[in-house]
Amino acid sequence: MAVFNIKNREIECKIVYYGPGRSGKTTNLEYIFKTYKKQVADQMVTIDTEGDRTLFFDFLPMGLGKIKGCDVKVQLYTVPGQVQYSSTRKLVLKGADGIVFVADSFTIRREKNMLSLKDLDQNLKECGLNIFKIPLILQYNKRDAGGSIPIMSIEMMQNDLNKQLKVPYYPASALTGEGVGATLKECMKLTLVHLQKEFKWAQ
Amino acid sequence: MGIKEQIKTVLREAEIYRTQGLFNEAMVKFKYASELIEKNVKPENGRHLVDGITKKVELLKQTISKYNDPEKPPEMPVEIQNLIKEKFSFSTDKESAALDGAIALTKFGQFERAIKEFKELLKMESFRLVAAKNILRCYFSSSSPEGAVSQYKEWLTPGLFTPGQLEKIRVFLENLLKEKGIESKLPAAKEEKAVVKEEVQAKKAPEKAKPAIKPLIEMPEADKEEEEFLDVSSVGIILETEGKKHPEIILDVSFQSGNMVCLIVPVREKLLIESMKAGLRLNNVQFYSPIAILNGSGVVAAFTKISSGPKMGNYSLDLKMFTN
Repeated sequence: MAVFNIKNREIECKIVYYGPGRSGKTTNLEYIFKTYKKQVADQMVTIDTEGDRTLFFDFLPMGLGKIKGCDVKVQLYTVPGQVQYSSTRKLVLKGADGIVFVADSFTIRREKNMLSLKDLDQNLKECGLNIFKIPLILQYNKRDAGGSIPIMSIEMMQNDLNKQLKVPYYPASALTGEGVGATLKECMKLTLVHLQKEFKWAQ
Repeated sequence: MGIKEQIKTVLREAEIYRTQGLFNEAMVKFKYASELIEKNVKPENGRHLVDGITKKVELLKQTISKYNDPEKPPEMPVEIQNLIKEKFSFSTDKESAALDGAIALTKFGQFERAIKEFKELLKMESFRLVAAKNILRCYFSSSSPEGAVSQYKEWLTPGLFTPGQLEKIRVFLENLLKEKGIESKLPAAKEEKAVVKEEVQAKKAPEKAKPAIKPLIEMPEADKEEEEFLDVSSVGIILETEGKKHPEIILDVSFQSGNMVCLIVPVREKLLIESMKAGLRLNNVQFYSPIAILNGSGVVAAFTKISSGPKMGNYSLDLKMFTN
């Protein structure tokens, strides 16, 4: 849940990267951390296991500076994608103002993408949020792997994941950074527009 | 594509999945490659390859089993624990936020720190019982039922808890022990002096009483209570402004999920509409269910104007319920 400090004209919002395990959520944040140094407010916190799986969450605070007379701060989180971490996933999702769903383009991960999106829908409901109302972006990650591994076409992923939602989507490669910035910018834009309706933060 | 090329492609794919951490997918591909070799390659040529694949599959099985049955979450550095406490406390008032923080630490498996935080909360009358139950749960989650029992015995010393509270804690602890397959008879508060020896006669219950699979992180007490919340049909809110109590406003529940209810606020309820904002705690709330009326409080999770449909112009209020 965003916090708006009227006196200091400061708004702080939360964007959560969601998706199946190993889809590239942490890699997205790592790229953002490396690339947008000016906007990064502090160190990236990452809590992973021996095998690089996110154990609790990743956390990256950013400061976007003044937008329409208001100091905008954004906190980026990732959830642990593995099925067994349902409880922590739910907790990290709580209070989200915007969501980036990172889907895996590998054909072999088709079902996992759909299950994870269903899990997001369920967990949002439990937080009193609606997947059709919350600012949401789909990112189709690992597009660069197409040469060596069977990957799904964008049309197929759209049909699987975005047929009902009809939200903005971006093909991406979190490893090379392609599409990472565009995904984040679009999510921030939608989130801030959404929050404007609630808080009227922009002058 | 010739069979050799096909086998090479499947093996390459399997290797990529393995390096990407997609172990199940890698195993499926390795097994498929193995089948292709056995069917299509002469045994004297294919044996070495199949042996190599079998070893890889075995290693993958071990890795998968390690990930499927993770050890207890590690105790994190204090800075991380502070971050968890800070970022996962959603209540606006300081005391409730402290409880949120302690519960978040429990959810992230930081039991030692969580116990410390809950012990601080024991000082607050309104949180004493829930904090005590969470302390016991933390001991259980960190595989120390003995710790829970000795903590309970410590609390029997008069002063901190009322006899009624101690009785609730005793029943709660006995249930926890039962869940673990340990039958026990704990001393009640009033018979404390009579029971000097062997208060806890722990003995193994029959095999079937054991819980099937232990979850990685057991659910904190507050969450269990949320799940057991009664179905609420309407909610009465008594507003207080400048020390003045206003008449009760009764609102119908449009839907309920656990301890969260969605209420429709008619546009005529001007005072209520003006007062509502996300995070606001309402201290005087009645929850009407078909079997009981519960007194409690609520925290506004969301308050929005309905912009379309038959209820357009009215307001939607999402309220998190807490009963006394």
